[in-house]
Amino acid sequence: MRGGALPPAFLCVSLGLALAPAERRLGMVGVLVLATTATVIAVVPIPRGWTDTAFLACWLSVALNSAIVHLPRGLGRSGAVVSSLNAGVWTGAMIAPATSRLDLVIALPCCLSMFLAAWICKRHGSIAVKVVSSWLIAIAVLAAALQFLPVTPGYLPDHIE
Amino acid sequence: MGNLSVGMPPTIHPPRRMLQRHRVACYLAIALAGSLASVTPAAAHVGTGLPGGIVSGFEHPFVGLDHLLAMMAVGLWGAFLGRPLIYALPVTFPLLMVVGAALGMFGLHAPSVEMGVAVSVVILGLCIAFAFRASVWAAYTIVALFALFHGYSHGVELPSAADPVGYSAGFVLATGLLHLSGIGVGLLNGLRHGVWATRGLGAIVALSGCWFVYRALGQ
Repeated sequence: MRGGALPPAFLCVSLGLALAPAERRLGMVGVLVLATTATVIAVVPIPRGWTDTAFLACWLSVALNSAIVHLPRGLGRSGAVVSSLNAGVWTGAMIAPATSRLDLVIALPCCLSMFLAAWICKRHGSIAVKVVSSWLIAIAVLAAALQFLPVTPGYLPDHIE
Repeated sequence: MGNLSVGMPPTIHPPRRMLQRHRVACYLAIALAGSLASVTPAAAHVGTGLPGGIVSGFEHPFVGLDHLLAMMAVGLWGAFLGRPLIYALPVTFPLLMVVGAALGMFGLHAPSVEMGVAVSVVILGLCIAFAFRASVWAAYTIVALFALFHGYSHGVELPSAADPVGYSAGFVLATGLLHLSGIGVGLLNGLRHGVWATRGLGAIVALSGCWFVYRALGQ
């Protein structure tokens, strides 16, 4: 199982956090680029063999966008557009092989986390945004590592049992 | 533990409004911590194994008292140490925990994980109880080392069949929230005698850790 709408939703959230310190207009451009690219890619038939690549790229993009939050200057104009384009491509690529396009409707609004994060940053709460972005990096690294596992011994009794 | 400072940290007298705000935050944090601690193992631990998803991943850190105490202690110790560690420790812990989890998932053998987890509870509890003012790098090192143990023990349990992505997300989110509740409890420091209360909590955590060590020795 690939997590359904979760990976693209996390990607959209991470992009929203990365765009939060940018100007409002630039953020809106980023959201527009994300939505357009994701919608276009989602309807393109993607070969089944690319699913693993899309999954890995999606999680690496989540980690990258979340790492951008920790940069002192954040994203520039071109950086915002490139990041949005990248997020759009992998969001669409994750949705394309899915059985339901509804996942796109669930994932895309998550980029509106940009407004919440911008509001928090303006009230000197950028630390909270950084902490959340570090959680996203942790989730992304863990999820990306999953597909390289020969076997996950999850069926074994755990340390408490 | 030769560098432990047994002296009380300097008393701070914040303005009345700030104190009131802190008091409300403290009540909220205590209520949150209490409700989290009241999750019973019998009810929640059924989440491990194949049916794992975001809910069972979220529940998992709450059901082992050793993990729960250690993660709250990280937040509480961070609150004691102040900036930048108050936010650097909750950032570092999940990242290093993921490294430990990956090692566990790849099946690398780690000796005495249970003992490492138990010792982490003792050490973190002692750090709070003795108000240990560690340097930034010392605090990073201590927390990073323990995060590896905690991550490893979770990593070997990560279910693959159902929803591993959801499970990882839930488990990282829960860990982060435990740190935040620890930081919330650390706001007690702003209250009169609050420092003694948090140091007392640290002592309780350390004593609980001794029990976990005893249990780990018996295995």
